[in-house]
Amino acid sequence: MENKIPSYLLQPVNDQPEFQKAKRARLSFLDKTIMNTASAVKSIYVQAENASKENVIQRINPYVKLIVMIYSIFIISIVSHLEAQLIITIFIFSLFIIARLKIFRVYKKIFFLATIFGFIVVLPASLNIITPGKIIFNIITINKPLHFWIYTIPQNIGFTENGFKVVSLIFLRIFNSVSFAMLIVFTTSFPSFIKSFKILGVPDTFMMIISLAYKYIFILSRIIEETYFALKSRLSGNIKNSRIRELVSGRIFFIFKKSMLIYENTYYAMVSRGYQGKVLLHSRKKLSSIDFVALIIIVILGIWIIYL
Amino acid sequence: MTEDIISLKNIDYSYYGKIPALKNINLSVKKGEMVAIIGLNGSGKSTLLHIINGLIFPDSGEVLFNGNPVSEKSLSDKNFGIKLRQSMGYIFQNPEIQLFCPTVFDELLFAPLQLNLPVKDAEDRAEKTLSFLGIEYLKDRPVLMLSGGEKKKVAIASVLTMNPDILLIDEPLSSLDPKTQTFFTDLLLELNHAGKTIVFTTHHLDLIDHLQPRVAVLSEEHTIQKTGTASEILNDEEFLISVNLIHEHVHKHENGEHKHYHSHYVFHKH
Repeated sequence: MENKIPSYLLQPVNDQPEFQKAKRARLSFLDKTIMNTASAVKSIYVQAENASKENVIQRINPYVKLIVMIYSIFIISIVSHLEAQLIITIFIFSLFIIARLKIFRVYKKIFFLATIFGFIVVLPASLNIITPGKIIFNIITINKPLHFWIYTIPQNIGFTENGFKVVSLIFLRIFNSVSFAMLIVFTTSFPSFIKSFKILGVPDTFMMIISLAYKYIFILSRIIEETYFALKSRLSGNIKNSRIRELVSGRIFFIFKKSMLIYENTYYAMVSRGYQGKVLLHSRKKLSSIDFVALIIIVILGIWIIYL
Repeated sequence: MTEDIISLKNIDYSYYGKIPALKNINLSVKKGEMVAIIGLNGSGKSTLLHIINGLIFPDSGEVLFNGNPVSEKSLSDKNFGIKLRQSMGYIFQNPEIQLFCPTVFDELLFAPLQLNLPVKDAEDRAEKTLSFLGIEYLKDRPVLMLSGGEKKKVAIASVLTMNPDILLIDEPLSSLDPKTQTFFTDLLLELNHAGKTIVFTTHHLDLIDHLQPRVAVLSEEHTIQKTGTASEILNDEEFLISVNLIHEHVHKHENGEHKHYHSHYVFHKH
């Protein structure tokens, strides 16, 4: 039989001089971004997996969870005693244990958010320049107090006891609010959680858009990951980073074009199944005894903690 | 004599007014009939289904559904629009695109709810369809977490809950493993026996052999080259070669390799 294969295809790879001196193209700057995206996508799986566990907290109706979340964040915001906030922290932690979530992983995220927004951002408020009081940690001493307009900079600048109390309270409020929100998010499937916003009067069409956006983030990140692997598997040789950037920006355009086509076809699929501009979503879960018990416990605890 | 449920008259369609997709298409489908549109990739099969379903509209020519024209204007009449959507279920080639709801159960309820079916009836239909297709275990699963075969089953289920008279199916067997392919082949026969009109596209001649539908062949020139019964088309070797649905290729036998016109499923002559 006649062989029409081009001769270069018959040549062993090692005999090709241009590849012998080639270096692997550097893609480390991309690696990190893509891997972070992939890890975010993976967290969607983790969230769904957690939410589908047959635990008491997972079984609570999403509507009830949303009401409880709003109520709890309100209680956390008005409680102004450190002891009461600490009790709330312990209570939420015990709920995490009951829900059998991966506590270390979740609390790492909570600490990160609470430290930035509840500690670093508000830390200057504990200085005696802003919150006067007894200094418990002196930072700097100047020759004499400075006065200008209505402001006074004292001779000793440092953190005050009152300031620390204020910062601790804000930190715990943010810590507790974030951890309660995380508890709800990690124990409820994203779609049902979104649907529970119906109780707040959010229109079905808006919730459908959120659901579709959620789906497309997922699909898009998968396309990005696959396109990146395809690029990585074909790139070798002494390619400049600038050239790689050019290639990547071209691929970004390609990915957006592709997602636009997907969107168009999804729209056709919706029209074909009766979509006429207004979406009607289904919400089927009825309240069970677990929901009522959860609601009563939280309401009673909330009132108790306010009067503590 | 049964009336035509779908009728296409002199349909022309092009993408962006430049790339022709369909040229002078004439085709009619009778109630309860099974019709296959076969042709190579890019011959215009999917575009034809889009046109039948009133998702896109031809540059020229006329589409009739139960004798009524399907156009942008006629579909703007809400009653006709609902009637057409309710009567035609379209299963896209890529189920990834077709599934846009949060969970499988939501997916099955989407169409009946949009078509104003009471919630209880819609739920009842969805439960029965899940059971009919043997996918009850997928009920609360997010659609993102389904395998290829499961997505296809859910896609078909999501259309069946509308109880359409006509099923438009684009490449029913694409990207499916052999077991799921058999499942779908049997399902199509069962639905057709139950009285559903089925119009599907394919380039798999073995599927034509299994289902024995009436066949319309789209050529690479985007025209319908021939219509006929499955056996008329499959036994016309010369014609199938002319439209490139069978071709000469090399394959291996015990005693070596050789090249000849060859279709794996219909005939295999040496």
